[in-house]
Amino acid sequence: MKKYMSLMLVVLLLLLAACSNKTTSDQGKTGDSKHPSGTITVWGWDVAAATMKASVEKFQKQYPDVKVKVEDFNSSDLYDKLTVGLAARGSGLPDVVLMEDERIPGYVHQFPEGFLNLNKLGFNKYTDSFNPAKVASVQKKDGEFIAAPWDIGPAGVFYRVDFFEKAKVDPNSIKTWDDYIAAGKKIKDATGAQLLPIDIANYDGVFQMMMQQQGVSYFDKNGKINLQSEEAKRAMATIKKFHEEDLILNNNGWDGIVTATVNGSVATIPYGVWYAGTIMDQAPDLKGKWDVFYLPSFTDEAARFANVGGSSLLIPSTSKNQSAAYAFTEFFTTDQESQLLGFEKYGLFPSLKETYSAPQFTANSEYFNNSPVFKRFADIVGQVPKIYLNENFAKASTITVNAQAAILLENKSVDKALTDAQKQLENEIK
Amino acid sequence: MITQKKLSTKIGIYCLLVLGVILSIGPFYWMLIGSTLPSGEIFHLPPKLLPGDYLAKNFQALNESLGIAKIFWNSIFIAIVYTIASTFICAMAGYAFAKFRFKGKNFFFFIILFSLMIPFQVTLIPLFELMVSFNWLNTYQAIILPSLASPFAIYLMRQNMQAVPDSIIEASRVDGAGELKIFFSVILPVTRPTLAAVAIFQFMSQWNSLLWPLITLNSKEMFTLPVALSSLIGMARIDYGQLMLGTTLSTIPIMIFFLVLQKQFISGILGGSVKE
Repeated sequence: MKKYMSLMLVVLLLLLAACSNKTTSDQGKTGDSKHPSGTITVWGWDVAAATMKASVEKFQKQYPDVKVKVEDFNSSDLYDKLTVGLAARGSGLPDVVLMEDERIPGYVHQFPEGFLNLNKLGFNKYTDSFNPAKVASVQKKDGEFIAAPWDIGPAGVFYRVDFFEKAKVDPNSIKTWDDYIAAGKKIKDATGAQLLPIDIANYDGVFQMMMQQQGVSYFDKNGKINLQSEEAKRAMATIKKFHEEDLILNNNGWDGIVTATVNGSVATIPYGVWYAGTIMDQAPDLKGKWDVFYLPSFTDEAARFANVGGSSLLIPSTSKNQSAAYAFTEFFTTDQESQLLGFEKYGLFPSLKETYSAPQFTANSEYFNNSPVFKRFADIVGQVPKIYLNENFAKASTITVNAQAAILLENKSVDKALTDAQKQLENEIK
Repeated sequence: MITQKKLSTKIGIYCLLVLGVILSIGPFYWMLIGSTLPSGEIFHLPPKLLPGDYLAKNFQALNESLGIAKIFWNSIFIAIVYTIASTFICAMAGYAFAKFRFKGKNFFFFIILFSLMIPFQVTLIPLFELMVSFNWLNTYQAIILPSLASPFAIYLMRQNMQAVPDSIIEASRVDGAGELKIFFSVILPVTRPTLAAVAIFQFMSQWNSLLWPLITLNSKEMFTLPVALSSLIGMARIDYGQLMLGTTLSTIPIMIFFLVLQKQFISGILGGSVKE
């Protein structure tokens, strides 16, 4: 018995040794910052990963010695892998990683040494090439680029042309949120469709848009919580009004929004420009029936602009080939052709300003009622107010959603709910 | 009167059963239908209840985005190797704990039971670092090896092997059988139901496992089915038809496996609960 066991152990050890031998790769050579070489790995998700893959060919014309491997995950899977890798002191991380902007402050806070300061590699010379609100969201307070800006999501209201016509509502007449509500009532009477989808207990995106168009977020510049501000009260009260007039479709998450988009149960969807791609994808039959107008605002003259979503590229500081990683990041985010490729094929709206004059942007979109939807967004993107995000973004959002649910579903007053939310958030981030 | 009453209870029971069947089969049916429809049509109102003609296209798209054959091979290879090796190891360990006397037996068994209480998230990062230092990222062994000795399976095996009478073992010894021979020719055959139950458990847990393969695998060619399906859920684009088809395909093997071993599965679980 003992003999057998020791024999088995030896065999097992040999097997292990055999497995771990094939480790030598071409990671050794990395070249220098002028002539990077070697292989780098990039992590991204679906259409973004596809865009990066497609740009590799042109990249390699400039840097023939660099091989780029783009690996594609679902975004929440990517964050899991990234967190584990960073917690394991950088083990197993890629050389470049894609991240949503709202996640960046959290990661930088939790892993302060986790990512390269791109200014050190010279990225600050591009500050003026990008949309200013985007630049603000990928820089640390002192102006260090922690990420290279890629896409953004200027917000607008997608609407059903046929519903508006049937209810005889002119979308151009909608300037304020009150106009929006009045239009919503008419449309509901005429077509039976709700005005907009809000996943009441899980999604505060509409609140966030209303906040940003007033120039604020959950926090001010110094990290002070903004939930009791006039802006927050105004926004929440408006959402409450939507609910009182029974204009909200309480959808079930992302799938619910897509469902409502396809089956005509809502007349409008306020969202980031990238949602245009989803509409075209999932509702090919509704061609010509969707169009877009700017977000309503709180007063006639106030700004009607906000941003929803967007992502950027970061270089983990454990990357063994930082010069090649930077070369790719710099090339990809500042190359007009690569940026337009992602825009044209997948609706990823670049933050690189020089792209907006390209014909792809100014053309009329056949799907969207033959109107120049993307030009509309490009025209306003420079006016999207800068706001301050920080590492407590996710907590703030959760607490705000809970307040929203309490106001709409449990009839709590706006003042009381926001006061409680502010207190709770103060306690949690103390 | 009595028969009428009986009849009406019967009707009531059957109504409940039919309701149960609809509730449990409904989602599966919807998944099947969904895999034959293009993404947009899945959301139509009223919902389409009959299969569409989009199955081939969904399959083509799924194959294009995943390379379904390789993914299937990965999943099946990992699950089968893992199931066989793990069941074998756990049977040996369970046998040792059930029938042998050695120093620290209770202590070691306690340690094993205790490890059941450690959530996987706690060991995730150290284990991951270990895999990185072995240079095992993106390999089959990183998924198969770390969880081979499963505390739960060892526990289940031990409980069932304790029920095997000592006299059988003694009789075999008297007949001149060595320890290995006893284990393979006497113990394993009589504990077959338990082995089957453990095998099903291990197979299912490996087949459905998402987190660990997700953390250790990086390239599409190495993905297992759950990881690959999860990668289909995009940021703003989800092809629901593809996703439904992928899910349907991934449930088929496990259904077959379960149907084949179902009898053993149930008797194996019951076998652990009653001791004569």
